[in-house]
Amino acid sequence: MEGLEVPSWIDLVAHALGVRIPPHVDHVLMAWVVMILLVVPCFIATRRLQRVPGPLQNILEFLVETLQGFLETIVGPRGGQYLPLIGSLTLFILGSNLLGLVPGFKSPTSNLNTTVACALVVFFSTHIIGIRRHGLFRYLRKFTGPTWWLAPIMIPIELIGHLARPISLSVRLFGNIFGEDAVLLILLYLVPLLIPLPVMLLAIFTSVVQTFVFVMLSMVYIAGAEEAEHGELVAA
Amino acid sequence: MQRRDLGPWRRIGALANLGVTMVAATAIGLAFGYQLDKWLNTSPWLMILFLLFGIAAGFINVFREASRGKEKEGD
Repeated sequence: MEGLEVPSWIDLVAHALGVRIPPHVDHVLMAWVVMILLVVPCFIATRRLQRVPGPLQNILEFLVETLQGFLETIVGPRGGQYLPLIGSLTLFILGSNLLGLVPGFKSPTSNLNTTVACALVVFFSTHIIGIRRHGLFRYLRKFTGPTWWLAPIMIPIELIGHLARPISLSVRLFGNIFGEDAVLLILLYLVPLLIPLPVMLLAIFTSVVQTFVFVMLSMVYIAGAEEAEHGELVAA
Repeated sequence: MQRRDLGPWRRIGALANLGVTMVAATAIGLAFGYQLDKWLNTSPWLMILFLLFGIAAGFINVFREASRGKEKEGD
């Protein structure tokens, strides 16, 4: 894995100073870059909210309205309250994926630790939402299956199914973004001129799709925690 | 805010994850059973049992996703 890492400006600075940076530090710094890139425009846009929005406010309003529409379609009318969680995840993951395409930068999401962190946030949020919605015992009863005599089989199956969620979420995102960066790097070594361009276009596409899949699945999991019993929705 | 019809988009999200979920569930079951075997000295029975649980969990995920799609089409 070490050999396939794209060198970034952090590596160049470290090389010039003659220091060895420990592993993962560059990805953490890149995550801070993403956070700054997200927080500063959002801060500027929300200081002076206008009735007729300017370009920046327009983009952000479009994002918020789209995500709220998704949430209300999938989770139900109560879905809007999860907008802060889902919106932050969307912007952070999308920004992280796209940052890797800028020369000299890396995707924070091409490090498994970042994606595991995001997936764990979703994992714990869904269970907390479920417990807050139904109470601890009624929520735990969802794990025992339709009838009591099926419980000894259903409980381990449901537990394994729930534990598989964060693993699949994090590994899929990490694998796609890491693979995308690796393909770009290999092509760059082989033919530096023009050939990587169509692959970069493809990489933009996969970045958006992977963000979409992650967020969509998070919403589906939240909807699953909000469901009353097996199968039927509360108010949808 | 009107409720829009997501149609295929929602399913793309869920289906894109099905393959990985199946593998992850099976692997978790296997690893869990393996560790329990090492702890309780019951090799290989718990490993086989939990491997079956894991496979069942993977298939239940697929089954639920498939049947959810059918409900939507019926509306």
